[in-house]
Amino acid sequence: MELLIKNGIIYDPLNRIGGEKMDILVKDGKIVSRVKNPKVIDAGGRLVMPGGVDMHTHIAGGKINVGRMLRPEDGRRGIEPRRKLTRVCTGYSVPNTFATGYRYAKMGYTTTFEPAMPPLLARHTHEEFRAIPMVDKGGIPLLDNHWLIMEYIKSGDMDKLTAFIAWMMNATKGYGIKIVNPGGAEAWGWGKNVKSLDDIVPNFDITPAEIIHGLAEANERLNLPHSIHIHCNNLGHPGNYDTTLATFDLVKDVASEKRQVMHATHVQYHSYGGSTWADMDSKADEIAKYINSHDHVTIDPGQVMFGDTTTMTADGPMEHELHMMSKRKWTNKDVELETGSGIIPVFYSRKVSINSIQWAIGLELALLIKSPWKTALTTDHPNGAPFTRYPEIISLLMSEKRREEALRNVHDAINKRAIIASIDRELNWEDITIMTRAAPSKILGLDKYGKGQLGIGADADISIYDISPEEEDPRKIQSALSHAKYTIKGGEIVVKDGEIVAVPEGRTYWVNPEFDGETTKDMLDDLAVKFKEYYSVNLANYPVQDAYVPHPVEIKTKV
Amino acid sequence: MLVKLTPKKAFRIPVEAENIKPDNFAGKGKSGIESITVCHGNKEVILGSLFDVEVKGVGNEKETKILIDGDASRIKRIGERMTSGEITINGNVDMHCGALMSGGKIIVNGDADAWAGREMRGGEIMVEGNAGHYLGAGYWGVEKGLRCGIIRVKGNAGDYVGEHMAGGEIVVQGSAGLLPGLNMSGGKIMIEGDAILPCGEMKKGIMIIKGKILEMLPSFRFDGTEVIDSIELKKFTGDLAIGGSGTLYANFVSEE
Amino acid sequence: MIITDVLCPFCGDLCDDIIVEVENNKIIEVKEACETGVSKMMGHERIAAPMIRENGKLRETTYEEAINKAAKILVNSLRPLIYGWGSTTCEADEKGIELAEKLGAIIDNTTSVCHAPSVLALQNVGLPSCTLGQIKNRADLIIYWGSNQAEAHPRHMSKYTSFSKGLFTKEGRKGKHVLVFDVRKTTTAEVADDFIQLDPGEDYRVLSALRMILAGGEDIVPSCVGGVPKEKLIEIVDRMKSSRFGVLFFGMGLTQSRGKPYNVANAISLVRELNAHTKFAVIPMRGHFNVTGFNQVCAWATGFAFAVDFARGQPWYNPGETSSVDVLNRGECDSALIIASDPAAHFPRKCVEHLKKIPLIQIDPCPGPTTELADVVIPVAITGIEVEGTAYRMDGVPLRLRKIIEPSHLSDEEILSRILDKVRELRGD
Repeated sequence: MELLIKNGIIYDPLNRIGGEKMDILVKDGKIVSRVKNPKVIDAGGRLVMPGGVDMHTHIAGGKINVGRMLRPEDGRRGIEPRRKLTRVCTGYSVPNTFATGYRYAKMGYTTTFEPAMPPLLARHTHEEFRAIPMVDKGGIPLLDNHWLIMEYIKSGDMDKLTAFIAWMMNATKGYGIKIVNPGGAEAWGWGKNVKSLDDIVPNFDITPAEIIHGLAEANERLNLPHSIHIHCNNLGHPGNYDTTLATFDLVKDVASEKRQVMHATHVQYHSYGGSTWADMDSKADEIAKYINSHDHVTIDPGQVMFGDTTTMTADGPMEHELHMMSKRKWTNKDVELETGSGIIPVFYSRKVSINSIQWAIGLELALLIKSPWKTALTTDHPNGAPFTRYPEIISLLMSEKRREEALRNVHDAINKRAIIASIDRELNWEDITIMTRAAPSKILGLDKYGKGQLGIGADADISIYDISPEEEDPRKIQSALSHAKYTIKGGEIVVKDGEIVAVPEGRTYWVNPEFDGETTKDMLDDLAVKFKEYYSVNLANYPVQDAYVPHPVEIKTKV
Repeated sequence: MLVKLTPKKAFRIPVEAENIKPDNFAGKGKSGIESITVCHGNKEVILGSLFDVEVKGVGNEKETKILIDGDASRIKRIGERMTSGEITINGNVDMHCGALMSGGKIIVNGDADAWAGREMRGGEIMVEGNAGHYLGAGYWGVEKGLRCGIIRVKGNAGDYVGEHMAGGEIVVQGSAGLLPGLNMSGGKIMIEGDAILPCGEMKKGIMIIKGKILEMLPSFRFDGTEVIDSIELKKFTGDLAIGGSGTLYANFVSEE
Repeated sequence: MIITDVLCPFCGDLCDDIIVEVENNKIIEVKEACETGVSKMMGHERIAAPMIRENGKLRETTYEEAINKAAKILVNSLRPLIYGWGSTTCEADEKGIELAEKLGAIIDNTTSVCHAPSVLALQNVGLPSCTLGQIKNRADLIIYWGSNQAEAHPRHMSKYTSFSKGLFTKEGRKGKHVLVFDVRKTTTAEVADDFIQLDPGEDYRVLSALRMILAGGEDIVPSCVGGVPKEKLIEIVDRMKSSRFGVLFFGMGLTQSRGKPYNVANAISLVRELNAHTKFAVIPMRGHFNVTGFNQVCAWATGFAFAVDFARGQPWYNPGETSSVDVLNRGECDSALIIASDPAAHFPRKCVEHLKKIPLIQIDPCPGPTTELADVVIPVAITGIEVEGTAYRMDGVPLRLRKIIEPSHLSDEEILSRILDKVRELRGD
């Protein structure tokens, strides 16, 4: 099928196009320079961007699904009946797979990455990917607490470490290296945690700092498209910003010509000053200062929005701490040899000082970091808020007036213990297009594979919003971004006037690094022992079979 | 305004009729009410096909009284989310009667099946017969059941009366089943008959059992006696297993 | 031909180390599996061909006619019930949920009659848990409560708990303390270090007493609770607190005794509170090999784990109302499709009587009491032997069942797919 989108105001930052009226041509799912007999869409001066890219959203797998089981009271929110094209939708913070796909598409998003895939349960993540329509997907396996990874880093065996990571990408059909509270999941196996980058992980005689550095090096040796993707130690602790800064600093010697060597996720939760909850304050300025003066780290904020949601993370000990504070229902799931996870419902209240400061910090990070290329917009769905809150967040980032209104209704602490009130920067459409499309695509290394841009040969993932780029009313902005005029996915119109009109299945991106065969053989001997002695499944049954990835996009890399 | 609904036949497959409430009937005439939809199994049907409808007078929802003259033991959700007016059922009623209601009154001249007054926020339910399980309880996963309003049952109630109750009042003139007041965090439950294992994991609130506690939990502290309604009752505090500070009064605790 | 790493399609342990010898498309030997697993894999009497009941008798027919008849029954029902799913793949579960959604049916699985209370308890209080390998490597205190896995999950103790060895449990059985709570001395209790006999129906109270003691209020607790002396309860709490890694497995002895979901919630809460002192996990001992898988699929597809009513075109989840036993007990449904389960053998009498009265469709490889009542019988291939696909172990670990021999029949998924197509055709969309 061919499409001609005319009279759109195009934002395509990866191709240095910032608000120009020009035509976009589409053929066979790609952006092309010539079409013969296209269907014409007259964008009529409306805003046109590449399809949205969410690089960190918990949409599929064991955690979100236990979240659904845990919260039928959330499930009954947001119920929509079956329609001719669409299946039933349920849930607000823990939407079912169908709602996940439809809601993203309705907002003009076309690519979503699940950033916490436990390797042993990767098959589950891929099963849910199959059940999420509309969007392309990828899953990033959790590797940092794996016994074999810790052992190889400890013994300094970089070759085997690299071989094992390469094997894991294949076995999990994974996209990169996710690190979550390194060392913490292993310590949590005994009900403990690690408190600093230099703490010793019990029984493994290794520190979080060594794990992070080792994985960053291996990541670059394998030439993975994405850098290491880290959830730092000490999440949510007052005073944790210095751990965060030290984490950034750990990898500045690791080289990459193409891109960052560390992506730090939901940094809002890692930007706290003070020493207790009573004096916790925003250190977004310190974090931003570092990011502004270094080019090896990118971040996403993990914006908190007021209301009810569900927190879920591989950081098991942190979720237990939250449970000890709130006493609300709590699940934990340790995964043998590998990782863990926890889930707890949360209500972020504008009347609570800490929640108000958390809300402020996310916005501050996005506004204080000068280059939008270093920040990808996220809520760490559903941790800070469900992804459906993005349009509201964007309107806050674009309008100081809207922020001022919002500030009147939050806890006073925000005036003393946060910075937001003093910031007058307003992001423009180019900034927003970067933070929601170009930057996440580039940070993931997907820009070269046709995501987050509208250049010739790129995937024809396009969003058209029913708004002129001149419009400044933040509420109109929010409303337009919530219901795309058109969402085009792989060249097919999937949303029209905010309604689903086609339901494609979406593809799965994974990385297949090629690595030296001899080292791989030696590594597999070590791995066989792990399976024989410690795993509860057989090695032969561990790797994710091709049947689980019906529409794969395999990215090959070489050392 | 008085609306009389007489069931045309007995149903086995239940009707889901949250649309039967004064809020929807007010200001409508006979044909308007007849054309209101309800669900019978997986089919949508109009009220007129299931009931003979008589309407007398006009009025707003507050002045609207609905009389279901017959057996409603297979009609679910009557009065769900109602805000005012009155519903009388001359017979038994099926599940979820008055669920999530926030005002008005429901009188059941018969038995009410499970989940009557679930998550109720206000108003009054009067059951002349017995009530089923989960009277005034919560929905799965929610932290608050009955929040406000009053439920009176002349007969007995089933298990889990007032589960997750956070406010309001429940009076059971007969006996209650297993674990009444479970996870209760506020409000008051009065049971004039007996009860089994009351107040498990109670945080706050008051439970008065004028009859016997047939079996008692091991995590309540005896705190002397008090006179309530001119009866001397034993007073207990708990559920201490969760650091609760609810109050449980009982006339008598069975020794095993 | 020898096939290794085969998954056993029997219990919730989903052992994946079975060795099977196949000759001429027939399994001739099964190694490593437990007796029940071997028997399941060696094969049973099969339903040969599709059948339709006419004048009270089943007669053989074609797949096409049976599927058409099944679709007609379902399309013409006001309140169809689709139940079973204990022993099939997640891929079949997905199709079944789509069918239920399309029909406006109630869909439910065997969870409804075994571990529904575990799901309801999870919704109430959560679930601190872990995979079985975590237990194998770390646990030094193993508690079984109302679960006789020596019979229901025969290899559980040797593979994951009492007798297993792992990185931090190198001494095996010697370094572990095994504690059993039950109303009678089971086979499991006989190999435990300590057996606590409970009076029937006293689980909730005993758990409350343990939590009371853990909270520091032992002076409140009476001298004997549920048949257990207070001193014993104090000793148990001390042992729990001083373990390095404890785990509580529970079975139907806990889920099906008086107070059902609240017993389980009380047990989970005890474990939850123990995590303030040491590391502790709790795992429900799920029965059939893929009963857990249905809950997973149902949760991601509908938002709810089982007992979902689509009558209104959207899910309504309310166990106690929308669960199959309750629906049948009240005689609410006017037809039923039973797949990969045999409710006529297990359900209460009143439920089975209602099944007799309504048009009944059965999809199963093997004949059983439900076949006797069915109006349409559709035979299928055996999942995990003749059909591959996904199953979830009791701890949520998903594995891929293997196809070991060529099937003689269509798979569950294929049958459901065809019924769904026929339903679409009859509905004209």
